Amino acid sequence: MSIDTKPQGRTYVLGLFATGEALVKACRQVREKGFTDIDTHSPYALHGGDEALGLKRSAVPKVALAGAMTGMFGGMGMMVWMNGLKWPINVGGRPPVSPLSYIPITFETTVLLTSLSIFFGLLIMMRLPQPYHAVFELEAFRSAVVDGFWLSVAQPAGSDGKDAVRQLEAVGATQVSVVKEAVE
Amino acid sequence: MAADLAAAPALDGAPLLLGRNDNTSLTKSLLAHVWAKPDRGWLLSFMIALSGTGALTLAIVVTLARGIGTWGNNIPIAWGFGIINFVWWIGIGHAGTLISAILFLFQQQWRTAINRFAEAMTIFAVLCAGLFPALHTGRPWFAFFMFPYPSDLQMWPQFKSPLVWDVFAVSTYLTVSVLFWFVGLIPDLATLRDASTSTVQRKVYGLFALGWRGSGRHWHNYKVAYLLLAGLSTPLVVSVHTIVSFDFAVALLPGWHTTIFPPYFVAGAIFSGFAMVMTWLVPARHFLGLKHVVTMRHLEAMNKLILVTGMVVSYGYMMEHFIAWYSGNPDEWFVFYNRATGPYRAIYWLMMFCNVVTPHIFWFKWMRTNIAVMWIASIMVNVGMWCERFVIIVTSLHRDFLPASWGMFYPTWVDLTLFAGTIGFFSTCFLLFLKYLPAIAVSEVKELNDELQHPTAMVQVVTAS
Repeated sequence: MSIDTKPQGRTYVLGLFATGEALVKACRQVREKGFTDIDTHSPYALHGGDEALGLKRSAVPKVALAGAMTGMFGGMGMMVWMNGLKWPINVGGRPPVSPLSYIPITFETTVLLTSLSIFFGLLIMMRLPQPYHAVFELEAFRSAVVDGFWLSVAQPAGSDGKDAVRQLEAVGATQVSVVKEAVE
Repeated sequence: MAADLAAAPALDGAPLLLGRNDNTSLTKSLLAHVWAKPDRGWLLSFMIALSGTGALTLAIVVTLARGIGTWGNNIPIAWGFGIINFVWWIGIGHAGTLISAILFLFQQQWRTAINRFAEAMTIFAVLCAGLFPALHTGRPWFAFFMFPYPSDLQMWPQFKSPLVWDVFAVSTYLTVSVLFWFVGLIPDLATLRDASTSTVQRKVYGLFALGWRGSGRHWHNYKVAYLLLAGLSTPLVVSVHTIVSFDFAVALLPGWHTTIFPPYFVAGAIFSGFAMVMTWLVPARHFLGLKHVVTMRHLEAMNKLILVTGMVVSYGYMMEHFIAWYSGNPDEWFVFYNRATGPYRAIYWLMMFCNVVTPHIFWFKWMRTNIAVMWIASIMVNVGMWCERFVIIVTSLHRDFLPASWGMFYPTWVDLTLFAGTIGFFSTCFLLFLKYLPAIAVSEVKELNDELQHPTAMVQVVTAS
């Protein structure tokens, strides 16, 4: 008897809903049934979608604040060090360290570092770019960014997803599909 | 109260979206111009724009090979077309950020149809703007000297100079504008990927869509990031043109050394930027079939903003002239007297006509809603704002304190080709954008459509009470 050692990918159960409201409602019901690894897929952000998924406050503002602080102190510190300490420059008799004239650039470095940290922080939080995701195994899922409202329930590897299928049908999905994550 | 709120949309006049739309039809109609084969009109415009880009390349090569002696600027007018065009282009870019960021923060729903368009304009305009100071340094291959980097020369930038502030302001502005634009584009790139039937398109758009799947967990962070980027862009856009105005205001030259410059420059920037948006939007909505999304309501709102910013600019002119007289400083007063009566008076009066008189036609509703009128007016404002920069730079420099050092500025063919060439380059980028990317933020319009069809909870509660 040979043991199948080929690792198996996770199972995703995908349900299609007619409207955004139906999706939010279904999402809440499915989560209350104990399915935790769920996600909504919609062409635009859904009203009440965050609460239905039970998401905590986004961490983006914290990342932004860290970037802002780095940019602010880094920018001011850079100029104080370069023009004031490392190689003092006398311009029109003004003191080498004159923080007032460093404010415009400090503002710009603050904005720059904040924006960069928001952008890269966002990509890291979303785990994008992601070349492959199991949901795309289903051709019909392409409607998720066009006009479809999908609910995906992830199940552990090896699961046939029957429970989740039944659950999605119970909350009113118009079409339910099961896809397996491809594993190299 | 309830009746007031319920009736409010009717007071706004024309609707934001025409006809009955759903997500399917919106995706189809808003992406139609991307799938369509380029028609003859597009190809012809693209050829013209591309020849402009070719002319730009030629002028750059001449500038690099022979030096900036090929330009018309010399002592006493050391800043000629290079800085005029820089300020003009960067100002044009500002409307994009204003529409996408400031109107977003004020929750102006009408911005949704035109923000993508205006943001693209910002990026291309800043690219054109950045070219001029870089070439003006004479040896642009040493332009990296302006950035703080550890060199063997122990040579750090001089951070007390507004010109160095400008380097930071413009490069930050370009970076943040690109990030904001790209973040906004990700969902639409995914829509392009999944709405396409061609393998090549799926692959290329898919590459830039980064694997976006409309996930609720993504939207959760995405919304916050977008809001924060909008919040950051708002003070940024004000700071950029403020710093550009410092290039002048910090100098001791009469005509430049005024405290009103920062707000007056910002208002002028937004004024010219809105005009440029109109110049492009009016033909684009016609040729791309976007009239159901970019409605008369949008055009009218834009024209009202042109009127408002035009009046702020007029106030700037008024104050500048008043203070020149009121200060009792003969040198200061001479600059303004010379502007109106000196050898460059034609450009001065053209500026006054285009910027002060033209916007007032928008007091009349039939003018605000007349396509031909608004298009011609937008071009006049563009011309007027270019003249304004010419007047500020050339007339202040050409007759300064010592009559023996007075002189005149005449642009050379290289100056004129560079300027015309940047317009060609801008148009090339813009036409490519209109061909390969959705001109309208598709996912945002779908969301707006949803909101318009299902009024938000707040309105329902108020109506019920």
